[in-house]
Amino acid sequence: MRLSGLFALPALLAATLAAAEHTSNWAVLVCTSRFWFNYRHLANVLSIYRTVKRLGIPDSQIILMLPDDMACNPRNAFPGTVYSNADRAVDLYGDNIEVDYRGYEVTVENFIRLLTDRVGDEMPRSKRLLTDERSNILVYMTGHGGNEFLKFQDAEEIGAFDLADAFEQMWEKKRYHEILFMIDTCQANTMYSKLYSPNIVATGSSELDQSSYSHHADNDIGVAVIDRYTYYNLEFLETEVRDTSSKKTLGDLFDSYSYEKIHSNAGVRYDLFRGGAEAARKRLVTDFFGNVQNVEVDGARNSTALEEELLSLSRTIAALHKKADEEEAAAEAERRAKGAKQTPAGPGSKGAAGPFVKPLTEENWLTKKLLGAAAVAGCTLLWGLGSFLEGSGK
Amino acid sequence: MSTPPPADSGTTSSEPNVASASPVAAAPAARKEAPPEKPSDARRRSRIIFSFWLIVLLLGLPIWWKTTTIYRADLPLQEMLDWSDGKACRPVFPLRISIRAGALQEQEAQNLLRLTQHALDDLNDFSGHHLRLQLAPPSATASHDPDSVLTIRLAPGDATTAAFDPHEPILDITYPPNAVPSHTASSSPLATYVAGQLRSAFAEEQATISYLLSTNSIPSDHRPQGLAPDVAQSLAKRTTRSLRYAPTYHLTLSLFASGSLPSSWDIERAIADYMKPVLDVLSPIHNFTIDTQVQLYATPGVQSQVLNKEDLSSFINAAEWPLSPSIGGAPTINFVIFVGNQTIAAPGPDADPSRSWLIPQWGAVYLLPLPADTAHVGAATLKQPLLTFTSHLLALTGAPRSGSLPLRLSTLARIRSADLLLRASSTLGSLARLALALPSISIPPRVADGVATTIAHLRLACDSLGTPDGLRHARVAEAEAERAFFEKSMVGQLYFPDEHKIAVYLPLLGPVAVPLIMGLLNEVKAWRRRRKEKADEAKEKKSE
Repeated sequence: MRLSGLFALPALLAATLAAAEHTSNWAVLVCTSRFWFNYRHLANVLSIYRTVKRLGIPDSQIILMLPDDMACNPRNAFPGTVYSNADRAVDLYGDNIEVDYRGYEVTVENFIRLLTDRVGDEMPRSKRLLTDERSNILVYMTGHGGNEFLKFQDAEEIGAFDLADAFEQMWEKKRYHEILFMIDTCQANTMYSKLYSPNIVATGSSELDQSSYSHHADNDIGVAVIDRYTYYNLEFLETEVRDTSSKKTLGDLFDSYSYEKIHSNAGVRYDLFRGGAEAARKRLVTDFFGNVQNVEVDGARNSTALEEELLSLSRTIAALHKKADEEEAAAEAERRAKGAKQTPAGPGSKGAAGPFVKPLTEENWLTKKLLGAAAVAGCTLLWGLGSFLEGSGK
Repeated sequence: MSTPPPADSGTTSSEPNVASASPVAAAPAARKEAPPEKPSDARRRSRIIFSFWLIVLLLGLPIWWKTTTIYRADLPLQEMLDWSDGKACRPVFPLRISIRAGALQEQEAQNLLRLTQHALDDLNDFSGHHLRLQLAPPSATASHDPDSVLTIRLAPGDATTAAFDPHEPILDITYPPNAVPSHTASSSPLATYVAGQLRSAFAEEQATISYLLSTNSIPSDHRPQGLAPDVAQSLAKRTTRSLRYAPTYHLTLSLFASGSLPSSWDIERAIADYMKPVLDVLSPIHNFTIDTQVQLYATPGVQSQVLNKEDLSSFINAAEWPLSPSIGGAPTINFVIFVGNQTIAAPGPDADPSRSWLIPQWGAVYLLPLPADTAHVGAATLKQPLLTFTSHLLALTGAPRSGSLPLRLSTLARIRSADLLLRASSTLGSLARLALALPSISIPPRVADGVATTIAHLRLACDSLGTPDGLRHARVAEAEAERAFFEKSMVGQLYFPDEHKIAVYLPLLGPVAVPLIMGLLNEVKAWRRRRKEKADEAKEKKSE
């Protein structure tokens, strides 16, 4: 067929189209509790952060939410550090960490805004989840939860319904390809029970009415440093998934959970995934925890001539465009010169400033003015009436 | 209470208690009764209760209703769904192609045009993408007519040949003198030849557009049948690779060195010489901003001397290399030159090793080997990397791979307008489905405005597909649709469980509601008793 001849990409190696169709990996790592005794929750999140970074997800694609700053807590015996293990081998805080939402910025509203990308223009790109239909997202949450809710800070909570609706909005807007939802809280499995959007694999640490326990405490730090579920996830990721070429699957990861280790019944939900449990279990761990793309290697350099030709062509075309533009501009200038005699006011300066300077709001200008005038008139009238009555009363 | 306590059993039984507790108080023989209530007092009390209820019903209820209802602007839901289902617009690309045949008689030219059009229509199986031929007015100048996508210059020659003009969308065709079809001929080899040339020139564009339509839930009758699987696959690959449309892209060119050298590069001249021309040519479709950086002592993510294909995706050391996207609104495309002596494993034993690879939707990497003591990288050394990046840039923007450059660019504009049109339509559909699925989400008037603007521009874009105006309208439509969907105030916790509602309302309404309801009940009781008494009195009167 003629078409296939056209599309044979001679410059590219015949790269097979792998099953993983995603082109980018994102991670949303959320800790929801503050205060010193919740040290372990921050350590949970930071250790997952270290892992996804180790496996190649860049900071710009990791959204990290930390409601408290354990490293600088006055009760921290090791200032500037956070450890998730009593051996204190790895400082999770380090000197290369990018916290996107910190302290009181970690709210339910901000979390839902992040997922649905309903943010204002003032929000920098690094704090947004700029995913598309080819992005795999790892959503990891930890904190104090209950039946179908997860407490944020000490003031509010997110419900399982809200979370499900947020994911549905993401799906509707084609904001993800596949999601791995992990949650480590008490009664965690209730949190994903209300999800209804496709292509989500969900896993949680404990069933309804089960607590999620901490793994061990560090006596010098004085509090528990990591939760069991996260600890054993990390153990798997550290020992089995050493680099991005690892072929371990989600099924292997989920099979590594056991009641003996975690002390609660970890749950997995496959039914939302296209292809069900079978397909979901075959997904590589690095599809969510790593950043693996299907790169296209160029052929050896024999197409230089082609590119040089392209360059010279572009030059000529650009020159032609420029010439045409100049002719047009000249004609325009001539016209303007004629017009300028009649209208001396130059609109040029206004046009230049136009796109940059914008009044804060220009809607309902007249209404607002009218309202203000009416309010002033009303006050005056009241005052006049008052003084009139006062006068007549005498 | 509305009535004085009657002297029933309760009162009598309490009397001994009172007497025994305080004999002094009991001394005045009979307990003093409260004076009977005056009818005027009873009336006043009724009025008070009545006015309280009036306030609750006429003021309280409306205020509660007004303050707790969620504002939902009217959206043309059906129309929005029609757009996303492809019912509102049938994307049709009528491409006008003018034929300039200076050497032919008007009559002959008309005849040739008719035959070629027939041949084209026979070849075409996709009605959405339609090539329409027209004769260029003979008075027109020799250059290309801006209203048509392609001009065919027919000139007599020795044999039938076809060649694209490299600088302008012009197809030069020569024909031997005897090939001109006669007035009565029903087919002609020249017409078939021209039609075949045109068809192959637009084949890739056609395939791309039909692929776009097929992936976007456009009903199957608008879709051409039989996109070969391998074509579909290569198209899928290409759409995966290309970035989603943005009016501006930000290019970051980075030089990473494994040691302390080289520490400078002549990148500005290199860009001006080797990249700028292509950027200029792309400028009607995209704008570009550029920044550059040099980073020394950079460790790649993979250290091995020979890089396998699996290594390449982890070559970028994302944790340490400062490749954060730009702060502005434009998506970033990264071009990385790594100075080091690593090589990419060759695909075969005698194939040359390649030096660069493309990362879909992200950018490209080029491995540049340099002598160890090079301190400054000159523009000439950067030529090869920048030329490679330029061709990668075209791939990342989604430009087709074949055809002459002017034609590729105009095809890119058309593909992008179709893409934007479909995107905006599907966003409208998402918004409509969301509005239906989440009854408690508020829809501010700005969303309705955005939807109205989107639909207006979509309509305009749909009518002018294939022209520069089409791209402009599609761009506006897409931006407005995005703005409407991502309206900032359309968020908040949408779901409140009933327990929460009770917990909020009960402490407030409970204490207020008890006296109100009790008062009303007593009033009703008293009113019924009065009516009964009246009826009894009337009966007594009658019986007397």
